[in-house]
Amino acid sequence: MAFDLYDLVNKYPPKQMMAVPLVITLIGLIIIGANLMISGAPINLGIDFAGGTAVTVMSDDTPDQMEAYFAAYPLISIGEGLNRGNYLRFGPMSDEDFRSLSRDIAARYPDAKVDQIGESFGETLQQQALIALLFSFIGMAIVVFIAFRTIIPSLAVVFAAFTDILITAAIMDVIGLPLSLGTTAALLMLIGYSVDSDILLTTRILKRQGKLEEKLKNAFRTGFIMTTTTLSAIIALLVVSWIGGIEIIMQIAAVLLIGLLVDLMNTWMFNAGLLKWYVQSGKAAKGVKR
Amino acid sequence: MVCAEWKSCKRGEEMTKDDTNPLMRDWRILVLIAALILSAASIYLLPPAFDKGIQGNVQLGLDLEGGSWIQLEYKAELVTFETTGSVEELLLGLSEDLDTEVSLIETNVVEIRKPFTQEELEPVFARYGATITRYEIGVGTETAETVKRILEEKINRLGTRDAKVNTLTTFGGASRYIRIELAGVDMITAQEIVGQQGRFDIRIQTTGDETDHVLYGDAITSVGNPTQNPIGSSNWGVPFTISDEGARALREAAIRTGATDRPMEHELMMLLDDEIVYSAPLSTDLAARLKVEEVRNLVASTGVGEEALNRAMILEIHLRAGALPVDVTIAGSGSVSAALGEHFKTMSIVAGIIALLTVGLVVYYRYREPSIVIPMLLINTSEIIILLGIARYFIQLDLAAIAGLIAVLGTSIDQLVVITDEVLHEGKVPSPNVYLKRLARALGIIIVAASTMIIAMLPLAVMDLSSLRGFAIITILGVLIGVIITRPAYGKIIMAILSR
Repeated sequence: MAFDLYDLVNKYPPKQMMAVPLVITLIGLIIIGANLMISGAPINLGIDFAGGTAVTVMSDDTPDQMEAYFAAYPLISIGEGLNRGNYLRFGPMSDEDFRSLSRDIAARYPDAKVDQIGESFGETLQQQALIALLFSFIGMAIVVFIAFRTIIPSLAVVFAAFTDILITAAIMDVIGLPLSLGTTAALLMLIGYSVDSDILLTTRILKRQGKLEEKLKNAFRTGFIMTTTTLSAIIALLVVSWIGGIEIIMQIAAVLLIGLLVDLMNTWMFNAGLLKWYVQSGKAAKGVKR
Repeated sequence: MVCAEWKSCKRGEEMTKDDTNPLMRDWRILVLIAALILSAASIYLLPPAFDKGIQGNVQLGLDLEGGSWIQLEYKAELVTFETTGSVEELLLGLSEDLDTEVSLIETNVVEIRKPFTQEELEPVFARYGATITRYEIGVGTETAETVKRILEEKINRLGTRDAKVNTLTTFGGASRYIRIELAGVDMITAQEIVGQQGRFDIRIQTTGDETDHVLYGDAITSVGNPTQNPIGSSNWGVPFTISDEGARALREAAIRTGATDRPMEHELMMLLDDEIVYSAPLSTDLAARLKVEEVRNLVASTGVGEEALNRAMILEIHLRAGALPVDVTIAGSGSVSAALGEHFKTMSIVAGIIALLTVGLVVYYRYREPSIVIPMLLINTSEIIILLGIARYFIQLDLAAIAGLIAVLGTSIDQLVVITDEVLHEGKVPSPNVYLKRLARALGIIIVAASTMIIAMLPLAVMDLSSLRGFAIITILGVLIGVIITRPAYGKIIMAILSR
C-alpha cells in the first residue's frame, strides 16, 4: 500500500531520517565541485550557454551516416530519440562555416530544426540565467519567511529547496544532461514545486491540532499523492517528447522528474525529520499560535 | 482505504440539504463560467477564427509554426563618463581618434558606433580629461529604434507575411541585441533578408519621362536623422553627404541637363531597386550653387508637418539602402521547417491529452470516486482553456511554453488534492461552517505555494532569456488563474458534491 510507505521512513528517529538526505547532499556537493574543477562549470553547459549549434532532424539515417555527412563540422554528439528523431550538437563555429552548415542541412534534411547560439550571446544568457536563479531563490526565501514567521521551519523549507536543486544538478552531471535554457527553467520551477510540498507539511504540522504522528501521516498521504500526480504528468510529458523528438520539452521533463523524486526524499526525510525533532524538543510551542 | 472512509462518512453524516441550485448562484462558479465563455470566445470568436484549425486565435511560436529567427548583436557600446573638461571637445576628440560616429545620448553617456573594449577606450577618454564610470555593449534607445525601423522596412519591402522585430534591452538600459522572427521563411532566405542591401540609384530627369543616371548608393557617404530645416520650423528633411566623385557627377549632370537653369523641369529622383522612392526638383539656391561649385552636403526635403516627418524617416532608411547605421554580428539564429512545426504541434496536443489522462488515472487510484475525479479533471481542463484564452492576447505559445502549460496542469491537480484532502480531513465531510474554515485553510496553503511559484518564475518573465519568457509567463498566469478563479470554484463544487 502506498500509504504505509511512510512507516518505512518514519519509524527511525529524526536524526537518522535527516542523515540520509544530508549525506546525499554532501555527495552531490562533491560531484558538482569535481565538475567545476574539471570543466569550469558546476553543470556541463549546453549549447545555449556555451555557444554552438543544435539540429533536430527526422531521418532514417544512422548516426554513422550523419557523422560522415557532417564530418567537416565540429560535431559533439548525436542523440537518438524514438520515431526517427535525432538531436545533433555542434560546437561553436565561424559565421561562414555556419552558413555552409545551414546549406548542407537544407540539402539533405530540409525538415530540420536548427538553433545556433554564438559564444558571446551564450555568455550573456549564462549571466542572466545566474541572476534569474539568484533572484528566484531569494524571492522564494522571503515568501517562506513571511508565511511562517518562525526561523527553524522556514530555514528547513529553504534548505530543502536548495538541496533539491543541488542534488538534481549533481544527477544531471552524472547522467550527462547539460544545463540549457530549458533545464534552467526546470530548475527554477523546482524551487516552486519543492516549496509546495514543504509548505503543506509545515502548515499541517505547525498549524493544526492533533497528534504529531497522525499529522505527519496525513500530510504524507496528501503530499505523496500531490507529488505523484505531478510526476505522472511529467512522465507523460517525458515519454511523448521522447517519442516526438522534442528536445527542449524532454530536457525540462527529465529535470523535473529527477527533481521531484529528490524532493520526495528531501521533504519526507529531511524536512519531516527536522520538524519532528523541532516539535518533540518543544521549541515549536512558542511559534505555533498566530 | 480512503475511499471507504469518505463513503462511510457520506452515509454517517446526514448533511443539511443545501441542494445544488445555490451552486449556480455562487459567485465563484459564476466567475469560472464567465471566464470559460470569454476564453473560448477569445480563442475562436474574437475575431472569428474557424479557418485557423484547432489553435484558433492562439499565437504560435516559430517552433510550432515553422520559420526562422536571427538575433543580431550591435558592435557598438555605451560609455558613461565623468569629466571636468568640455564635453563638446571630448565628443569631437573621440570621434576623430576612434574614427567613428560618437554621439551624446544623455548628459554623460556617449554611444560609440564601433567595437572597442573598455581598456582600449580608457586612454582615449583620459586624453580629454574624462574617466569611464560605466561601459556596456549596445546602443541607445534612439539608434535601436532606427535599426528596428530599417529592418521592418526591409522585411516589408520583401513582402514577408508575418515578421516581428524586437529590441532586447539589458538592465543597464543599453540595447544590445535585436531579434528578428520571420514566420514561414527558411534560414537561408532569412540570412539574405537581414544581410542584403538594396540597390540605390539617383537619377535626373532629362526630357519628359526620360532620366539619366547620376550616382549610385555607394557615393552616399553618410545619412543623418530627419531634421527640421531650418531648425525649429515644421519643414522636414533628411541631410546626407555624397563623396567628391558623387558631387562632381551631380554638378556635371545638373549643368548638362539644364537643371541649374530650370530646376522645375529636371527633378532629381531616388530609386531603390528600380522603384522611385523620392522625386523633387533642385531648390533654387542649390541650383545656383551648383553653377559655381560642387556640393557634398545635401538635404532631401519632404515637406511640412507630421506627415513629412514620417516620409523623412522612411526616406532616411531608403537613403541607407537598408544598411544599418551600426555594424552587427549574428549572435544566434534558428529555424524550424513548417513540416516539423506541424509535427511538434501534433505532439504537443498529444502530450497535453496524455498528461491529463495520466493525472486522471492517478487521482482515480487515490480516491476511487468518479464524482471527485471528474470535477477535478474538468476544472483542470477549464484552467487550460482560460489560460490559453488570456495568453492569446499577449504571448506566443512555443515549445517551452507548452512544457509550462503541462507543468501547470500538474501543479493544478496538486492543489486540488490539497483542497480535497483538507476538506475531507479525518474522512468526514464537515458542516458548512467548518467546511468553509477548512477551505480557507487549504486556500492558505495554496496561496503560499502559488506565491513562491510566481516569485520563482518572475525573473524569467521579466528578463529576456529568449524562449523562457513564454514558459515563465504561462506558469505565472496558470498559477494566478488557479488561485483566483478555478480553486475557489472547485472548493465550492466539491462541497456540493460531497454533501449530496
